[in-house]
Order: sequence, then structure tokens, then C-alpha cells
Amino acid sequence: MNKIINDIRETARQLLAEGKVDVVIGYEKGSLPLKATPCFVHSSEGVDSLIWDETCENNLATYVAKTPGKKAIVAKGCDSRALAVLLQENQIVRDDLYIIGVSCHGVIDQRKIGAEVGEILEASISDGKISVKGMEGDKEYLFTEVKDATCQTCRYPNPVMEDLHIGDTIEVSQEAAAFADVEALESKSDSERQEYFKEQMSKCIRCYACRNACPLCYCQECFVDCNSPRWLTGGVNRAENLLFQAGRVMHLAGRCVDCGACSRACPQGVDIRALNRKMTKDVYVMYNHESGISEEGKPALNEYSANDPEQFLVKE
Amino acid sequence: MKISKEKFGQAFDALVAEYQIIAPVSDANGIAFKGVKSFSEVKQDYLNSKLPPKAFFFPQHEKLMSYKKEGKDVTVKSELKVENTVLFGIRPCDAKGMQLLDMVFKNDQYTDPYYFERRDKSVIIGVACNKIAPTCFCSSFGLSPAGSEGSDIFLIDLGDSYDVEVITEKGKAVAARFEALSELSADEQALVDKIKDAETSSKVDVSTTTSKLDKMFNNPYWDTLQEKCIGCNVCSFSCPTCHCFDISEEVRKNEGTRVRTWDACMAPLFTLHGSGHNPRDNKKTRWRQRMMHKFNYFVHNNGSMSCVGCGRCIKGCPVNMDIRQVIDGANKAELVVE
Amino acid sequence: MGEIQVETENKKYEPKIAAFLCNWCSYAGADLAGVGRIQYPATIRTIRVPCSGRINPLYVLKAMANGADGVLVSGCHPGDCHYISGNYVARRKFALIKSLLNHVGLEEDRISFSWVSAAEGGRFAEVVKGVTERVSALGPNNGIFKVVDGGAADE
Repeated sequence: MNKIINDIRETARQLLAEGKVDVVIGYEKGSLPLKATPCFVHSSEGVDSLIWDETCENNLATYVAKTPGKKAIVAKGCDSRALAVLLQENQIVRDDLYIIGVSCHGVIDQRKIGAEVGEILEASISDGKISVKGMEGDKEYLFTEVKDATCQTCRYPNPVMEDLHIGDTIEVSQEAAAFADVEALESKSDSERQEYFKEQMSKCIRCYACRNACPLCYCQECFVDCNSPRWLTGGVNRAENLLFQAGRVMHLAGRCVDCGACSRACPQGVDIRALNRKMTKDVYVMYNHESGISEEGKPALNEYSANDPEQFLVKE
Repeated sequence: MKISKEKFGQAFDALVAEYQIIAPVSDANGIAFKGVKSFSEVKQDYLNSKLPPKAFFFPQHEKLMSYKKEGKDVTVKSELKVENTVLFGIRPCDAKGMQLLDMVFKNDQYTDPYYFERRDKSVIIGVACNKIAPTCFCSSFGLSPAGSEGSDIFLIDLGDSYDVEVITEKGKAVAARFEALSELSADEQALVDKIKDAETSSKVDVSTTTSKLDKMFNNPYWDTLQEKCIGCNVCSFSCPTCHCFDISEEVRKNEGTRVRTWDACMAPLFTLHGSGHNPRDNKKTRWRQRMMHKFNYFVHNNGSMSCVGCGRCIKGCPVNMDIRQVIDGANKAELVVE
Repeated sequence: MGEIQVETENKKYEPKIAAFLCNWCSYAGADLAGVGRIQYPATIRTIRVPCSGRINPLYVLKAMANGADGVLVSGCHPGDCHYISGNYVARRKFALIKSLLNHVGLEEDRISFSWVSAAEGGRFAEVVKGVTERVSALGPNNGIFKVVDGGAADE
């Protein structure tokens, strides 16, 4: 067995046996191939279900504030960044949290695989290769070919805060953040971008999986559910879908840790990240700010500087 | 009897003059049921659509009426406009799902005109599943990948032709246009029998679930079950039998519309009272409601489970909550004294 | 009041612009323009807010959804905020709203931001004139946010 998994299980066993935590939040094997599922281990007998691999795609930070008691959490880089923002915003208590940090090479985009081989019947991962048996055919992939789009631009594969690190750390290049995906959209004309987002928004069915999967969408009452004032009518059409998505993205501006949980959760394949990434880029370029990279600090929109750029003002 | 796909295509194209035709097409997002004008647009090799076809009878967002006040005059207008429709390529699970929805929208006291106007004016042409996905589990409910329940005409794809079974009077009117029907050859008959005998490889035992759930309202099973659920509406919106809705008024100045929108038991707002009290204010009670409704209350009220095993909720769930495991867990849960 | 009427698609058209003005500076600036009888187009519908920092991005989105042809947001000059830092905080938000809305394909001139002090009655009129001209040139809002009767405008 993989050493990382073994260490996660042993750590969980100890924490639970010694009564240091009430629950360990980690991943277990899911019911579908290439899918892990979040798992809550309450006693040391249950720790052997814990796993760690390239299918652990959910952001577990989502659960922390909602789970009572002291908890340990298996955290990737992006999970830990979300925890950092939650701490900055006083949503969670550091003393109630034990972070089992694991460096992450990225997760698999199984939609990409599914689009090529049909429904996935069986799959196995070994040595950076993924062999898939699908209803439309079999195929072998290199992990890098099917790495999730979010993970391809990830700059924080190592947890930014942790109580224990398991496994090796990943070397990260010190280059500035790259936003090729955002720039590609920016270089299009207004009407092309409008068409693109119209198409994306017409796919949205407003199931709110993006919002609920997001570790930083924790409002007691989301603006879409608010009756007074009523921001959205009951309508499900692309104009109101965009109002929802744009409103949500504004709430996340300067806070989003770019974990991609929203896009992966979306059953309709809406390119939600295209909006979030734009805000991440703007915040990075204009305010030189990256969210959740340490426990200290504040989200970008809670701060200001007298010299913030003002190009957006009218000319008069 | 069988009809060649060429002849079927001709009959299909001729129907366009009289019917709005909805059929599976392949789009950027996978398979979807959409309006088509010709048989050539139809995707014939598909598992099933991403979203269930229930929206054609029960739209996600529907205007029920509009009203306007001018001085002391109030005008109220019905917004219901329905065309004769053929739904082609409906899979057996979804066709059965529509029969289950019928039970919801019609009872001895009330028939929902919006649902039934559409339902009555539509003809369902079901097509058997030649391929069965690993998430399909319709055989668990006594259904079959080649079950004709709920279809007006039922087809089995034989490659170049369809085996045709006309089931209802509505189906007969459409099938009257089918020309050059011929008998199946022995080989074809064997293929038909094989498709009809197929079962889903995935099955879950539901024989004791209803009676077990009778005794599980306060069971600790629900406490742990709900932990990983993030409370989104994917499962409900992608379910062919989920039917909960919300009615709201969209008012602007002196005019407005009354609309009906899908809602879901997973949403906290669904049960929130005007007083601020919420009888189902946590995921535990909401998950219990979902399971009870599908596998217990619906059985007591309508004599059938409200799940057809299409597997959409399994595929769509962002955290891989698998309803098969949830049923299995309920079957195995230890009973506590209530 | 002087009215600017612009020809768009053979039709006399006067835009409706939702103007969110802060109580302490821009609203007073608008007032001063009125007291000084300075002419500016009657295209704005003023919504007074306590501070530009109070403006929720949803106000801007909702105004567009409800059919405003343009939105003008104005507060005190940086450094002059009645609440010390409200407009500094708002400034970051505004820059991002503007950028996001442009990114999803909303015409750049539909949403305008400006700082106008209580002493700048003349400038307030200039801002409204400029914004009105630009929004008029774009024509009616049939854009990506507009919701009509529970449905998107151009569907």
C-alpha cells in the first residue's frame, strides 16, 4: 500500500484513539470509477477506509464550519487555502482544527475521459498512467493529459498551513501567476465574449451545486434565496442565471482560492471558473493579492490602499 | 412487426407538419431532448439524456397566468399554450417516470391542467435500451431496459429497422402512418428476445425497504448518512420523478405573473415558513424526507416506489452520494426502539 | 430642464440611468447643480445611499436586470469620505464590478463610476451629460442581464 495512505490512516487512528479529535474528514473510495467521495471517520475502527489519490477532487474545507466538534481534515493545497480564508474571516476556530496536509499533484478531470470513452466501466491508476475501460472503448492516458484545468495553473500544491505533513512536498516554480485562459477570453471582442457567456449561462439549471460545493460560500442566507429584497425572480433563464453567477463571483472576488470545486460540481459543465479566474487575475494584477496564502492577512476587498488604480472612472 | 429506419424516417418527417417533435440530440453538453424537424437530426446511439424529459410536461419554470390592473379593471390571462407533441426516444425508465408523475398531478380531487394539457396532447415513442450503463439499476424496481410501460409506441432498435409495438390508442393514431411493416425474421426475433430479457447489472434489493422505513423515522442512520451531502439540487433536478415545486408571484407595478418553478426537498428554503420556523432545518431531516418520499410515502399513497433507477442522480452528484448505497444502508440499518 | 434627445434606429430615445449617489458628496453635488440652475439631462433616477461603500454590487446588476439603460455610481473623492474609508473600500469593488461586467460582454459605457464632491455642482452636470451621451449612443439595454417578465430580453 501507498505510504501516504498508510500515514493518513495511522494519523487518523492516533488522533481518534487519543481523543484529540471527534471526527476525521478525508476521502474514501467512491461508488464510481475514478471517483473518491468525502468520508467522515468517527472512530479508529473506521480509518481503513481513508484513501488518497488523484481522484480526491472535493474541497473538504466546505465541511469544516458545518461539522460540530473538534475535527481533523485531510487538506490539499487548495483546501488549506480555503481554510486560511475561513480563518481570516473568523468562520472557523483554529484550535478545533487539525490539518493533515498532503501535497497534491492535481486531480483527474473525469469529464474529459468520459467524453472520449463514454461511461467509465473500470479504471486503474498507476505510475502516472490511467487505464480506462469505457462503454465506447478503452484508453490509456498519461495523468498530465487528463489533469483538471484548475490544477494545471495551480501555484500552491503544498498546504499553506498544516499541523502535520504527509508525504513529500512538491517543488513549485517561483514565476508570477499565469492567466493564459483569462487572456484568451479577454482578447476576444465584447460580442464574442457575450456570446460565450450567453451560451454558458443557458446551460445553468440553478441547482446551486457550485455554491454549495464552494468552501467560501457560507452565507447564512444566500442572496438568491433572499425574499426581501428579492434579487432574483423564480426565473431560470440565462439573464437571471448570469445575475446569480455574477453576483456570486463578486462575493468571491479577492476570496476565491481557485480550487475549481464549483466547475467540477457543475452537472451541466458551465464554465464557472471563467468568471472566477477573471476576478482572481484582476485582484492579482491590480492589488497584488492572492487569497488564502497565509493565516494572517485579510481578503483583498477588506483592505485598501490610497494608491489603488482608478482607471475605471469616467473621464469627466 | 418491424419497420425499416428509412420508412420510419419518412413517417417521422411527415409528422413534423402536425406535431412538435422532441427527440434526443447530441449537443456540447451531451445528450438532450430538443425540438427537431427531421429524423436526420436525431441521435440514435445514446444511453440517455443528461436531464430527464419530464420538463416537457412539467417545465422548470412555467407561467401559470398573468394579470394586469388598470384602474378598477383587472384582466387575468391564462398562459397555457400547448401543441400536439411527439416525444421520440424516451427510455423505459423515463416513460415509467412519467406514469409516476401522472399519479402526482391527478388524484380524485384535482387534476393539474398545466401538466395534463401537455400530457394528453403528447405521444410517447419509447425506445428500448440496447446498451446499459453501469449506473442503470431499473431492474431493481421490476422495470426493464426494454420495458414498454408508459410508452404509446415502443420501438426496439435492430440496426436498420425498428421492432414496433403499438400500445395505446394515441400510439395507434401515429403508427397508422408507418408503412411497409413486415414480420421479423427469426434472427431478428432472437435479437428482440435478447434485448427484452436483458437486465441491468447493477441492482439493489428494495423488497423490504418500504416496510423497513416505516420503522426508521427516528433512526440514527440519518445522522451519519447526511454528513457528506452538500445540499445542492442536482439529484432532484435530474430525477425523472421528482416533482416538488414552488409557486411565486412576479409583480411589477400594476401587472404580474404567477409562476411555478421546480423546487427541491434538499433546499432549506423549500420548507421555510413565513414565521421563520423551518420544520426541516437540517440536512438530516431533508435526506430522511427524500428517502421516505421516494421509498415509503409514495408507496403508501400510490402503490409504487418513486424511483425508476435511471442513475442520473448517481452520475450528477458532486460528492458521489449513491442512492443505491443509501437504500442498501437503510436495508441494513439497525432498528432502534422508537 | 434641458433634454438631450438622441436618434437611435430612427427613434427618439432617452435613456434611463440609475444613479447611486452618496449622501454626503455626490447627492449634495447634484443638489448644488439644481440650486445653481445648472442644466443637465433628465435621464438619471437618483437613489441616495449613505456612502459609496454601502453599494452592493447586486444593486448595479439588479438595476441592469430591471431594465436600466445605464448605471452611474458616484461618491466622495478618495480621502474625503464622511466615514473615513468607505469610498476606498468601494473603489476596489467598483474596479472589479466594471471589469467583470465588461468581461461577460456588457458594453463598457453602461456602467459609470465617478467621484463628485458637494462643491462640484458644475462637474456633476458634466458627468451626467457625458454618461447620458455615451449610454444614448449604445441605445436601449437589451443586454445579457435584462429580464423581462421573468424571461431574458432577447429570447
